[in-house]
Amino acid sequence: MDVGNIAIQLLSGLTVAGYLFIVSAGLTLAFGAMRLINIAHGSYYMYGAFIVAVIVGSTGAHVDRFWLALIVAALIVAAIGAATDLIVMQRIYNKEHLTQLLATFGLLYVFADVALQIWGGGFRSVRPPGVIAGQVRLGGHSFPAYDFFVMGVAIAVGIAMWLLLQRTRLGWRIRAAVEDPELLSVMGTNVPRLATTVFTLGALLAGLAGAVVAPLISVAPGLDTSILVQAFIVAVIGGLGSIAGAAIGAIIIGLFQALGVLWVPTWSSAFIYIAMIIVLVVRPWGLLGVPER
Amino acid sequence: MADQVQQAPVVAPARSAASTRAAPLEIARRVGLPAVLLVVLVVLSFVLPTARLLVLQNVLVLSLFAVATNLLLGYGGLVSFGQAAFYGLGAYIIGTTWLHYRLPFWIAFVITPFIGAFVALVIGALALRTRRLYFALLTLAFSQLFFTIAEKWYGFTLGDNGIFGPMIPSKLADPQAGFLFVLAVVAVSLLLLWKVVNSPFGLTLRAIRENRERTEALGVNVYWHQLLAFVISGAFCAIAGALFVVHDQSAYPQLLDWTKSGDPVLAAVIGGMYTFLGPALGALIYQYGHDLIVEYISHWQLVLGIVLVLIVLFMPDGVAGLFTVSGWRRAGERVRQLRHWRAKVG
Repeated sequence: MDVGNIAIQLLSGLTVAGYLFIVSAGLTLAFGAMRLINIAHGSYYMYGAFIVAVIVGSTGAHVDRFWLALIVAALIVAAIGAATDLIVMQRIYNKEHLTQLLATFGLLYVFADVALQIWGGGFRSVRPPGVIAGQVRLGGHSFPAYDFFVMGVAIAVGIAMWLLLQRTRLGWRIRAAVEDPELLSVMGTNVPRLATTVFTLGALLAGLAGAVVAPLISVAPGLDTSILVQAFIVAVIGGLGSIAGAAIGAIIIGLFQALGVLWVPTWSSAFIYIAMIIVLVVRPWGLLGVPER
Repeated sequence: MADQVQQAPVVAPARSAASTRAAPLEIARRVGLPAVLLVVLVVLSFVLPTARLLVLQNVLVLSLFAVATNLLLGYGGLVSFGQAAFYGLGAYIIGTTWLHYRLPFWIAFVITPFIGAFVALVIGALALRTRRLYFALLTLAFSQLFFTIAEKWYGFTLGDNGIFGPMIPSKLADPQAGFLFVLAVVAVSLLLLWKVVNSPFGLTLRAIRENRERTEALGVNVYWHQLLAFVISGAFCAIAGALFVVHDQSAYPQLLDWTKSGDPVLAAVIGGMYTFLGPALGALIYQYGHDLIVEYISHWQLVLGIVLVLIVLFMPDGVAGLFTVSGWRRAGERVRQLRHWRAKVG
């Protein structure tokens, strides 16, 4: 097993970590601020990927539209997220977890069926624009340039989230909502509107992740459930509600999968479940999580 | 039945007071209803054409799967999203023992609940260290692990292809005999589960659901009670999986997928998770609803999704709640809450 092969696997592991982080950040943000469990989160990711595929076109005829597609996809998905929040989520924020699980499980089915009606059951592929489509040569080995792009987006999202939460009034309110929503409401913040904002932001992140990942995968129905399990595993390993935890969880899962592919290719998909089981058995609240009140 | 479950005393008396002075009407309902149901099903097995009988058989299997899952969900307040692990396990026990050892079906069938219970003991012992959502996701991870094993361990499980073949005795291959066998096993299993939920153990389990801290303070070992519930549920889910084989004569990875774990949960919620037979009613609605919608509207997922959201928002007691006073009362409360919410927001 040569060094180059290992490096390529590690890089692809970090790429996986990149988009998993973007998806999980949205999931964990909603949980942290509103204690919301959203099974339909993966649907936003799938919609993001499909919208990019539609705008860019399977033939690659409109590759120049890729950058526009990324933004449009994220914004459309954010709008869908805002609508979901106002129609359904507002009614279940203060309900028990089972209620949230089931209501959003219902939404997952609704979104899946609608997607099937609009885009059909076949798969589509997306070609990235020339700038990031080639190979990058590093130390005598070539790496796909797109991997670096995904990691760059993930890092940008991470920094943006940090700035948002730590340096803005909105972030200040979100953190206050995590601590004590009632007090925040007494202080004059419209907490239901804050929840809408946070939920929309979470949907936007999921849509962005789907849009960014589109060129790496075949865009097809079923993306929603497969990414959801992974996103939950990442968020849970890191500790639900913790953005930093999501980053750590994403890196652990990304690298675990990469090493799995290197050592035991057949069983690599089992690795993420084993990682989650080990972490939760040792630390039932995740690495950076706090026990639920 | 629903009233009885909801108004269960928080502290479990040695024998439930209701059972000692049950009114004649109550006895008629408890003994009469299941007996009539059983007779009707036996009669149906002689009357119905084979295709319809097989659908009904699926309903029976899903009923057992859902009621067994509901021991955790409704009675224990434990949301497990991994019961497919045991369901699939049951099917694979029959399949693999036939494939590799030519073990007679009857022997495989008898050992199925014990293996299911043992695996549930191991998974439960680890998963119950966590709570609520983390528990749901950890059980999900275990079932996904099983899914991966079934899919990848080609030498033992034949991987993606699944195991197909004449793995049940020829006597059971006859549709009516198969149906009656499934009916008998489901009936006995439900009777046993009924005994479990109405035992002091079952009452304690409900007390833990209502107030974990208080029950713990009374000296109840919450962990062991929940673990025992998980083991019992796992054993019966495995039986349900083995019964699936009677109809389909196959075992394949999708039986272990996490969305499969959703089936019994959905049946329980639709039918009503605070009634013993609610999940069975849910199984009936789920199966026939699926068949009807697929035939006439073909948007199964869309309808299921919307129905699920509406039930969760407006009918927390499920369809079985329509037959009880408390179910209507709670639905009314939900509607009032929503009006109140509207007034606040608007």
